[in-house]
Amino acid sequence: MTVDPFRTASEALSESGGNLTELARPFVRFLPVTGASVSTFGSLLSAETISATDARAQRVDELQFDLGEGPCWDALATRAPVLEPDFATSASWPAFTPAIRQEDVAAIFAFPLMFGPLEIGAVDLYSSTPGTLTARQQKQALVLSAVVSRILLRHAISEATTPETTTFSRRLIHQATGMVLAQVGSTADDAYLLIQARAFADDRPMREVAEDIINRRIRFGDLSETDEVTP
Amino acid sequence: MIETTHTEQLFDAFATLADTLVVGYDVLDLLQSLVEYCHDLLDVDSAGILLMNETGDLEVVASTSEANTLVEIMQLDANAGPCLESFTTRTVVSVPDIDVDVDRWPDFSRTASAQGIHSVYAIPLRLRETTIGTLNLMRNERGELGRHDIRAAQALADVATIGILQERTIRDASTIRDQLQQALSSRIVIEQAKGVIAETHQLSMDAAFERIRGHARAQQMSLSVVARQLVAGELRL
Repeated sequence: MTVDPFRTASEALSESGGNLTELARPFVRFLPVTGASVSTFGSLLSAETISATDARAQRVDELQFDLGEGPCWDALATRAPVLEPDFATSASWPAFTPAIRQEDVAAIFAFPLMFGPLEIGAVDLYSSTPGTLTARQQKQALVLSAVVSRILLRHAISEATTPETTTFSRRLIHQATGMVLAQVGSTADDAYLLIQARAFADDRPMREVAEDIINRRIRFGDLSETDEVTP
Repeated sequence: MIETTHTEQLFDAFATLADTLVVGYDVLDLLQSLVEYCHDLLDVDSAGILLMNETGDLEVVASTSEANTLVEIMQLDANAGPCLESFTTRTVVSVPDIDVDVDRWPDFSRTASAQGIHSVYAIPLRLRETTIGTLNLMRNERGELGRHDIRAAQALADVATIGILQERTIRDASTIRDQLQQALSSRIVIEQAKGVIAETHQLSMDAAFERIRGHARAQQMSLSVVARQLVAGELRL
């Protein structure tokens, strides 16, 4: 029986506990890449590299943040993977492309980190030799990215919020959780996280968001961030 | 419709409660039946049961209407109201007119009154030294609950309490605590299931609960099992 590197990586990720600095490592275990980085940015969280497997991976993030352009920005903006198989022949980013050519980076594959409608950040994978990822590898990277998104979101929420304790507001939140799971077709855990994240993003108590859901003022759409693969 | 006397209906209620107390019964289902009997047989407009949770606070576990307004009123009552007083003093607390002394429990009294509830009767669920919660009877009219209704309500509450505590002495002492706690935790998945049904069929929370309850009865399943299946997507109603 062969060992499935993707499964190994997924398991490593779910076992990472609260150690955010290890989030990038699982990606290099099963993909033909030299290094990986995980960063948060966008409308919800501050721009920050959370995890990088090496100094060059860190540099890939840093350049994109400094220049305000690059594959990770495009990946999050388009909510889809952005693949640059060879910078020698590319002119996609007027400032970033010449800058990254100085860095012994031949290819970059960026995957968006999102949860439902929320922007979390991106994963940047780089390779020192030209090449691309197969559709299957992209799909796997997206699945792993979805796990990373949840971990980062939970962490951000737990840092920022104090739990609400009244038994009545908990009841409303459970009812809202049921409505959201029916709306998006998710598990109860993900539905709860969506409500929690919405409250976090809007800077409102969860109880208020739950009441809006119950009174049908807020609806959630499909939670299908892992379904789309752009070849 | 066949006429049955009040007394006959009460006998039926006791018989059914006793049936519910067989081995392996679900505490939540028993308490739900209890509030429904109170509503059907007594001169009350709504009824609810609150159990003590792990942190020592009272929490609504069953009610005749699952409308959030009623549950909120009872939860306010549990924080400061006749229900809490009945629990802490282990005695019956009767409030024939909520509006007479609003300052005693301002949040509870104002909210209840605004929702048309004007008298309350709270009975401790108690057997000797042990109190596990309270039964709350609410009426839209002012005035004392009738003498017969009081006795019937106390008897129903006693049967349920004895049933629950009897189980405790049969098994080991920690079991009942777990069981009561489980009844309260079952509320989480029941609330979620209400949300699923409310969303799927565009119903109110109360109507959603009725549908879940109706299915559980028809299939002779416990409420929490039905709720779990709904939330897991294994059952559609």
